[in-house]
Amino acid sequence: MAECIIFVLPIGYMQSAICLRVTEMSYAIKAEGIFKTFRSGWWKKRHKDALKGVDLQIEEREIFGILGPNGAGKTTLLSILCTLLLPDHGNVRILGMDGLHDGHEIRKRVNVVSGNANFLWSLTVKENLHYYGMLYGLIGKEREKKVETLIDIFNLAEHRNIPFDELSTGTKQRLSLAKSLINDPEVLFLDEPTVGLDPDVSIRIREEILSIHKERGMTVLLTTHNMKEAEYLCGRIAFLKEGKILTTGTAEVLKRMVRIGDRLKIEFKGRIQEDELLRAEGVINFTISNNLCEIVVDDGERRLGSLIALLSRGDTQIKKVTLGQTDLEDVFVEFAKSTDSDMGLRV
Amino acid sequence: MSSSNLQKALIQTWAFVFKNWIIAKRNVFSLFEILFWPVVGFFSVGFLTSFLELDPNKTGFILVGIIAMSVIQVCQIDVAYVLLYDLWSKSLKHTFIAPVQSSQLILGSWLIGVIRSFFVFLLLSVCSSLVFGFDFWRPGIGPLVLFLLGLFLTAASVGMSVCILVLLFGYMADIAAWSLSSLMALVCGIYYPVFILPFPFPEIAQAIPLTYFLAYFRSFYGFDEGFKNVLGWGFGLAGLYVILEAILFKAVLQRARRTGALIKLSE
Repeated sequence: MAECIIFVLPIGYMQSAICLRVTEMSYAIKAEGIFKTFRSGWWKKRHKDALKGVDLQIEEREIFGILGPNGAGKTTLLSILCTLLLPDHGNVRILGMDGLHDGHEIRKRVNVVSGNANFLWSLTVKENLHYYGMLYGLIGKEREKKVETLIDIFNLAEHRNIPFDELSTGTKQRLSLAKSLINDPEVLFLDEPTVGLDPDVSIRIREEILSIHKERGMTVLLTTHNMKEAEYLCGRIAFLKEGKILTTGTAEVLKRMVRIGDRLKIEFKGRIQEDELLRAEGVINFTISNNLCEIVVDDGERRLGSLIALLSRGDTQIKKVTLGQTDLEDVFVEFAKSTDSDMGLRV
Repeated sequence: MSSSNLQKALIQTWAFVFKNWIIAKRNVFSLFEILFWPVVGFFSVGFLTSFLELDPNKTGFILVGIIAMSVIQVCQIDVAYVLLYDLWSKSLKHTFIAPVQSSQLILGSWLIGVIRSFFVFLLLSVCSSLVFGFDFWRPGIGPLVLFLLGLFLTAASVGMSVCILVLLFGYMADIAAWSLSSLMALVCGIYYPVFILPFPFPEIAQAIPLTYFLAYFRSFYGFDEGFKNVLGWGFGLAGLYVILEAILFKAVLQRARRTGALIKLSE
C-alpha cells in the first residue's frame, strides 16, 4: 500500500505539472489582472488609471488586435507586455516566462514596431540595422547577412545609405518593421504601425505584416484604432476602453455581439404599410421619409427577399435597394459610446 | 559564460561604441568638442598665465588643471551621449527593448569617450610643450597612465550621473551634461589649490576623486597640497562612485520602467 502511494503520487504530480506546462506554453502571452496608474506632479497627486484589471490570453502564432479609442490604454498594455513598462499589479507571462522578473530573457525573443517610427537620426538605414543587430548580439557575417536580407525584404536597398531623418514616413516605417525582425522574434508587438501613413503605404505595410506572419509564424499583438486594419490582420480582437477589455472575439463575433444590424435603404414610389413593416421578422427599426425607407434588420441578406416581397404589395413600386452591412467601424462606434453597464448587458 | 555568450556580450557593448562613433563622425560640430573648446580653453588660460608672468611651476599647475578638465569633459559627455542621442532622436525605447545590460551601455560609451579624450590629451600636451614649454611627460609613463586612468574613471562617474539625471528628469536634465563637470572644476581646484576655497568647499573637494588625481600629478611638479595617499583615495573614491552609480543607474532604469519614463521620453 505504501509502495503504491509513493509510486502514484509522483506520477500524478508529474502529470499535473506537465498539463500545467502545456496549458501555459500554448499561450504566447498571458496577462491576468493588470492594473497601471500613472502619477504626475510634484507630489504625485495627479493620477490617471490607465489599466483597470486587464486579462488577456493570446495563443502562439495568432495575430491578435487590441482596438480602442485614443487614451483607452492600448499603448500602456502593449508596453507592459513587451517589458518596457512594469504593471502596478497583475501577472504577465510571455512565452512561458514571468514578465516581471524575466524581462531580460523575454527581450531576447520579442520585438516592437511603433507608429511614428523614431531611430537615431544621423545613422543611415544600414547603420541603424547594424546597430540594433549588435544590441541583439548578432556577430560579424551573421549580422551582415541578416541586415542585407531585411534590406531586401523591405525594399530598402535604394535607401540603405540615407540617414534616417531624410527618409519618407513610409520608408521609416518599413525600416521599423525591418528592425523588428532583426532578432527573429517569437512575439512581435505592433503599436499602431500605420498611424499617420498615406492609405497606399498603409496597405503595403499591412500586406508586409501579413506576409511576415505567414512566412515566420510568430505571434503578433497589434494595437490600432483603425477598424479596417484590425479586421484585415487580426484573427481575434479585444476592445479596450478606459483601461478595461470590454470584449474579445473574432470580427464576425463582435459584429453579431453588438447587434446593431444591417441597413437596408429602399427607394420606393407609393405607400408603405408601416404597421406591417414593424411586425416583420428581423426588423429592428425603420424610418420613412421622402420615398426613402431605411430599415435596420438583424441580418440583411437573410431578410432582404421577404422584406422586398412585403413592401412590393399593393401599388408600391421598389425603385432601388441598397444593403449596407455592419462593419467593424460600426461596432467600434457602438463600443466606444456605450457605458460599461451597457456593454455588460450586451455581452 | 560560454564563449558565444561572451562574444554576444562584447558585441552588445561595442554597439554603443559604434553608435557614438558614427554620430560623432557624421556631425561636424562634434569636432568642436574635441578640437575647438579644449583648444580655445587651453590657449585662453595659457596666455593668461603668460600675461600674469607666472613662474613655470605655477603655469604647469594651471595647465595640468585645464588639460585634466578637458579630458574629463570630453570623456564624460560620451557617456552622457549614450542616452542623450536616444533622447533627442526619441528612440530610447528601442534601446531598452533590446536585451542589453546597463553596464554594457555605460562601458561601451565610456570606451569611445576614453579614445576621444585621449586624443584631446595628446593634442593639448603637444600644444603645452610647443607653446608654453611645459613638458607633460616629465613624470614618466607610469604616473601619466595612472593620472589619465583616474581622469577616465572620474569622467565615467560624472557621465553616469548625467544619465541618472536624464532618466529621472528627462529633457530638463540634459544641461547637466555640460554643467556638472564645470561645477566640479570649481570645487576641485582646476586653477587653484583647494585649500584657498572657503568652508565647506575644501571638505567637499576631498570627497571628489579628481582632487586627488590633480594633487598626485602636480606633486611631480613640486606642489604638495597636503593630502596623504592620494592615489589610494582617488581610485578608492572613483571606484566607489562608479559602483554606486552603476547600482543607482540600474535602479533608476527600473524606476523608469515603472513610471513609464522610457515611453514618455520616446514620444
